Amino acid sequence: MDPTRVAGLRRRGVKMSTVTLDKITKIYPNGFQAITELSLTLEEGEFLVLVGPSGCGKSTALRMIAGLEDISSGDLYVGDRWLNDVQPKDRDIAMVFQSYALYPQMTVAENIGFPLKLRKISRKERQEQVWQAAEILELTEQLDKKPAQLSGGQRQRVAMGRAIVRRPALFLMDEPLSNLDAKLRVQMRADIAGIQRELGVTTFYVTHDQVEAMTMGDRVAVIKDGILQQAAAPEALYDNPDNVFVAAFIGSPSMNLYEATLSEVGGHYQLQLGDQSLAVPEQILASRPALRDYLDQPVVVGIRPEDLEDAAVASDHPNDQRLDAEVAVREALGAETLVHFSIAAPSVDSGDPDALDELGDEDVSRCTARFSAATRTRVGDRIRVNVSTEKLHFFDRRTHLAIRT
Amino acid sequence: MRRSSTLSRIGLHATMLVLVVWSILPFIWTFQTSIKFTRDVAAKKPVLWGYETTANAYRAFWLDEDDINMWSVLVYILVVAVICLILGQIGRRVRHSWPWFTAAVGVIFVALWRFPKVWEVNDEYDFLVNSIVVTVLTMLISLSIGLLAGYGLARYTGISGAVILIVALGFRALPRTAFVLPYFFGAKEIDDWLASSGVGSWDFPLIDFPGIDTLQILDTRLAIVLALVAVNQPFTIWMFRSFFIEVPKEIEEAAMMDGATRLQAFRRVIIPMMWPAIIATGLFTMLLAYNEYLFVRVLAPTEWTLPVAIVSLTGGESSRTITEAAAASVSITLPIVVVIILFQKHLVKGLGAGAVKG
Ligand SMILES: Nc1ncnc2c1ncn2[C@@H]1O[C@H](COP(=O)(O)OP(=O)(O)O)[C@@H](O)[C@H]1O
Ligand SMILES: [Mg+2]
Repeated sequence: MDPTRVAGLRRRGVKMSTVTLDKITKIYPNGFQAITELSLTLEEGEFLVLVGPSGCGKSTALRMIAGLEDISSGDLYVGDRWLNDVQPKDRDIAMVFQSYALYPQMTVAENIGFPLKLRKISRKERQEQVWQAAEILELTEQLDKKPAQLSGGQRQRVAMGRAIVRRPALFLMDEPLSNLDAKLRVQMRADIAGIQRELGVTTFYVTHDQVEAMTMGDRVAVIKDGILQQAAAPEALYDNPDNVFVAAFIGSPSMNLYEATLSEVGGHYQLQLGDQSLAVPEQILASRPALRDYLDQPVVVGIRPEDLEDAAVASDHPNDQRLDAEVAVREALGAETLVHFSIAAPSVDSGDPDALDELGDEDVSRCTARFSAATRTRVGDRIRVNVSTEKLHFFDRRTHLAIRT
Repeated sequence: MRRSSTLSRIGLHATMLVLVVWSILPFIWTFQTSIKFTRDVAAKKPVLWGYETTANAYRAFWLDEDDINMWSVLVYILVVAVICLILGQIGRRVRHSWPWFTAAVGVIFVALWRFPKVWEVNDEYDFLVNSIVVTVLTMLISLSIGLLAGYGLARYTGISGAVILIVALGFRALPRTAFVLPYFFGAKEIDDWLASSGVGSWDFPLIDFPGIDTLQILDTRLAIVLALVAVNQPFTIWMFRSFFIEVPKEIEEAAMMDGATRLQAFRRVIIPMMWPAIIATGLFTMLLAYNEYLFVRVLAPTEWTLPVAIVSLTGGESSRTITEAAAASVSITLPIVVVIILFQKHLVKGLGAGAVKG
């Protein structure tokens, strides 16, 4: 966040805190290690999204920051306060739960005002602050209702209200939108991001939905099996994934990943993808000198669906940078058309448990392409597909790490 | 209910009607008997209606002198009820209901206290007071223990928690008769020790227990309360546990994030959600304590409560007329009937506790 804005928010009484997680590890009493040496730093006022498949330890991480779970090892700081042994109530952190966890016997106003009441803030001041929060969240009409009388979206807002009314040092949100229907989710996504930006409170947001992560976060941290994979701005994460898992997890439809072999034939480089070959321009190897060490060895190659195009639509593409394909499925989405075909190359397991099951044959893999709407292909057509080779991603086959240098 | 045919619906209603009549007829008979003259009750040909009514039986049961006007007694009770009602109405307007609640209890207390001094009363009045004391104390203690234990056992998932619950269930399944003798002999042992060591007749400085010369357990209301709390505990613990389990852990955690201590979270967020459970469990406990016969009979040979007292009316040397026995029976049942009607909704909720919610 830019310094003048930080200064402005500070003047309005917003506590702008950095949050530091230093090698935080969680081992549950049953011996299960849910989080391994998680290190992350949140800048003042930053909106960080922690994303990963379900069961990877996102809630665990959040609950350790909240103080609802003990930290097995490592250090947690908010500002320069060491928080490991501080009670949840004294951490000055507000949390929005996936289930909202509203107090059913209290009205909306009482729910939102509860944190203030616990701080012994006078009734009048309390009403004022509750009203302010309710205005931000468009809840002023509902203040006298009980949670049971509200819709899902309204309940979600009340949970938000309870968090923002306190002006805490840090917001924690654990999949706050996952109980809403798709349309509302899109709207609330924008609303929450907007409110956060307006309030300027540092926010740690957890979700399993990568679209949510990409659209809301200043920065996105991808986690798998309790281990942080990569933390970067959404665009950087998308363009330069550090490993196969991040590459496959971020983006929808997923990146296509195959085992392929890069070789040099008569001074030209080419990628052997099953029974087809693609010419690889010199400059790709020039920008990634490490790739030369992988010549004539299998590597993992990744192709984003939008880096594939119907040759009939874009004909000015080098002919040796094209693949043959037979259209298996076609999904017209209006602005674009998704086309699925198969490629005779071994696919790569990215480790994302939610990924689609591959075709039965080990050496035949699914490929998804995102063609422009101008494409005229039909199911069963044999087509040529342009590959934007300069956008190819390369990964080590064994370590699954990106080959970028 | 659309699918069930008219025929089966008629059958269902007919069955329910028979059951209701079956259970309510004895009560109607008792009530009728209590307001009849003895000659109508003893008549060869039953007098079902058109008989002359009288409060003689009630007078005889409650009051020493026969010529006290029953109307003045009724007016007295009515005045007390009206005061309580007014307090209740005031309490509705005041957000916090504790003041009126305390005031109402105070009024009833004073009313009970003053009652015997306004009129000469029979021993039965003492039995009523015993019943009330035993019931209220049993409820207070059982509910307090049950709430805390139920909460703990709902949140703690270790193996020892399961063991405690299963053992509790086992004790619940044993009949009263299995407990009453051990309790009796245990209490007797303690009393013997109190007497022989002199602790029982200790004169505590500054503290003067009214009406108690020597400390003992047997034949006191305390003995009954202790025994009842013990046998009732498995029920309250299971009952509260089933309610607590339905309270998501996140609600407490949310309260703690909002700045509450664990105790504050329990008191200000969880307990208010528990009122239906507290009322339902309280009602069941009340019924148990108020109706108890065996423990009172064995553990408190002279400190009777009403159910034991009523037995003396139908047999033994203090046997009285059948109308008086009926009056006693109605007098004992009426408070419970009123309470049950008031809290009927909660009772049904309590019975359905733990059932899967649609
Ligand atoms: N109290 C616990 N004891 C043992 N294992 C747990 C406990 N809570 C969660 N886990 C395990 O830790 C892993 C991470 O859980 P969680 O943080 O809830 O995942 P996420 O929020 O990413 O879906 C899961 O495999 C889960 O089974
Ligand atoms: Mg989770």
